[in-house]
Amino acid sequence: MRILLVEDDQGLAEALQQSLEREGFVVDHLSRGKQALTALAVSTHDMVILDLGLPDVDGLDVLKQIRAKKNDLPVIILTARDSIDSKVKGLDYGADDYLAKPFDMQELLARLRVIERRLGTASSSMITIDRVVLDTSSHKVFLMQPLSVKGQKDKQSDQQYKIEVHFSKKEFMVLKALMENAGRIQSREQIESKLYHWGEEVLSNAVEVHIHKLRKNLPDKFIQNVRGVGYIINRPQTNTSN
Amino acid sequence: MSIRRYLVLTLVSILTLITFIAAIQGYKASMSRAEKLFEQQLVDFAQIVKGLHHTFDKKKSDLSFDNTEQNTNKKREQGVNTAHNFETSFAFQVWLGHNLVIQSTNSPMNPIMSLKQASTHFSEVNFSGQRWRAIYLVNDKSSVSNSNTSIKFDDEKLIIIVAQPLDKQFLLAQEVILAAVAPMIIAILLLSLLIYGIITHGLKPLHKLTTALSNKQSNDFTPLTLHVDNTELTHVVTTLNQLFERLNLAFERERHFAADAAHELKTPLSVLKINVHNLAQDLNDKGQHNSTKLIKPLSLSVDRMGHVIDQILHLNRTNPEQIYQNQKRVKLKPLLQTVIADLYQSIANKQQTITLNTDDVMLQGDELSLQLMLTNLISNANKYTPGNGEIKVSVKYSSVDEKQPFHNNKTNNKTGRIVIVIEDSGNGIKVEEYNRVFDRFYRVGGDQHDSSVLGCGLGLTIVKHIVDIHRANIVLSQSKSLGGLSVEVLFEQNIERV
Repeated sequence: MRILLVEDDQGLAEALQQSLEREGFVVDHLSRGKQALTALAVSTHDMVILDLGLPDVDGLDVLKQIRAKKNDLPVIILTARDSIDSKVKGLDYGADDYLAKPFDMQELLARLRVIERRLGTASSSMITIDRVVLDTSSHKVFLMQPLSVKGQKDKQSDQQYKIEVHFSKKEFMVLKALMENAGRIQSREQIESKLYHWGEEVLSNAVEVHIHKLRKNLPDKFIQNVRGVGYIINRPQTNTSN
Repeated sequence: MSIRRYLVLTLVSILTLITFIAAIQGYKASMSRAEKLFEQQLVDFAQIVKGLHHTFDKKKSDLSFDNTEQNTNKKREQGVNTAHNFETSFAFQVWLGHNLVIQSTNSPMNPIMSLKQASTHFSEVNFSGQRWRAIYLVNDKSSVSNSNTSIKFDDEKLIIIVAQPLDKQFLLAQEVILAAVAPMIIAILLLSLLIYGIITHGLKPLHKLTTALSNKQSNDFTPLTLHVDNTELTHVVTTLNQLFERLNLAFERERHFAADAAHELKTPLSVLKINVHNLAQDLNDKGQHNSTKLIKPLSLSVDRMGHVIDQILHLNRTNPEQIYQNQKRVKLKPLLQTVIADLYQSIANKQQTITLNTDDVMLQGDELSLQLMLTNLISNANKYTPGNGEIKVSVKYSSVDEKQPFHNNKTNNKTGRIVIVIEDSGNGIKVEEYNRVFDRFYRVGGDQHDSSVLGCGLGLTIVKHIVDIHRANIVLSQSKSLGGLSVEVLFEQNIERV
């Protein structure tokens, strides 16, 4: 995925660029908002990482103009400002996501992967968390089972095979919403908004029912319930996390 | 407006008082004038009678105004109502010596006044069941009165007595005077209304100013757009607008400073963090796992610094003197859900459970600072509760005014109490520390605090600021159900249920 990074701080830009390129992204860097707008007019970038604290023009204005011309270009905003205030404004102006400085690199990478999958530019359409594999393109769910080698109980086999688990369309959508946003609680309302369009009648416990059905076929405690708040699938712990 | 009330009441009372005094004085003066007039009238009448007497004296016949029935009937035919004789003014007697020569119908046969008096005078007498004012006119036939000589009590003396009923006099006088005074009373009423109207109108610019000022939000420093015609208020409005301008600039400067400070502090920290991440990745790739272990404390330090900077910036922002907040109605349930969702990663990392129990309640306040307050409190619960612990967040609503059974349920707008409770199963705080924990940079244990938990001692200070801004109350206690700390934040305000 080709990313346009708009950030005026040299040190930050360099560090980010290094980290992102290591993960396989192609990064172009500009340090001024006006330059960015010019570049985007003719660009082939897949998405933008935009810092709000630009010296020449307000980042939110840049965002507005991007939205005016290219409505579906994904934009993640970075902000050092009073994070809550600019978060609301940023999302209102059309940002897809926001991150407050100083942020965790893992966090940024996770959000980038979500956008990748949405754009279809991901090398793989699979989301894997623990033993659960979700294929966003084929709309299938698999459970990884370790292949045990007979007679060698203590030897962990690297081989695994997939068992498909069948879910209804709505159940798949709930699982996808939770897995794509692994590590972030999704409230009942948020899940509902992803499942049902306006005017469609929603039973008040529809989501509960879907979750219940999902849990029957997925590992224990995969989907966790935070009473009063929502549901969450925890992010897999990676080796390189800080 | 009390100025108006003061002016109107004072002026009207003074007006009424003075007018009344004047009226009373006028009344008295008029009355004595009237008396004089009546006396003059009596004199004139007496003179007429005297003249009459002289005219008819030669005839030596007893002339009296009709007393007989015939004449009374005649008079009735002529349209004169004799029954009114007692109501018409005068009664008179003309005495020549001891003889009653002429008299009016309504006078008695005996002398009205004592005939022994020598000089002409006025007096009050009683006869025929009434009280009269009478003049006693003495006229010597010799027509030369020598006041030095002694009284000659002989048949020669002509005495004319004319009397008028006193109450008749009085009534007449009163009618006249009241006719004069009545307009004054009406004038008082009219003047009062006029005074009220004029004062209200005159004070209108002041009233406009008061209204404009009270309509302003406490953090609204836009200039007043009033048109005031009078010179005093123009000056006031100008000065006020200048003040607003300066305050506005001052707050702008503060805001910019805070924003710039945030940017300048957080950006290098962000660079640091990413570079540490890159370093860790690099070492890991090269298989240098020993060095990777050194990264962790470095990373923690960076996080700690970030935390302190965040808290200091928040502390500055929630300082009650800085008026950054916008008061509006905030839905508590989604707010709490957001806060818990944002903190969930840390909660899950310690295998803690958190539950939220709340109704749909709206609170009047500043959303950003409320979110900050809740974040600090729930984060504390997370940090200071051991692994596998429990955190409970609940919102209780109670109506203070419960004696209104017929209250209109549509508005549901009454004074109510909202309590946000955050409890945990941690070790809690000792009672003697309750006051100190709100101090800046204080962490429980003083210098020997537990440094393994990330914190800088500003969290509860920030919370207290926000509680004060919202005029709420915060109470620390031990949680009955979980055994750890219980934090209750009480809001008492016009609560709306969603």
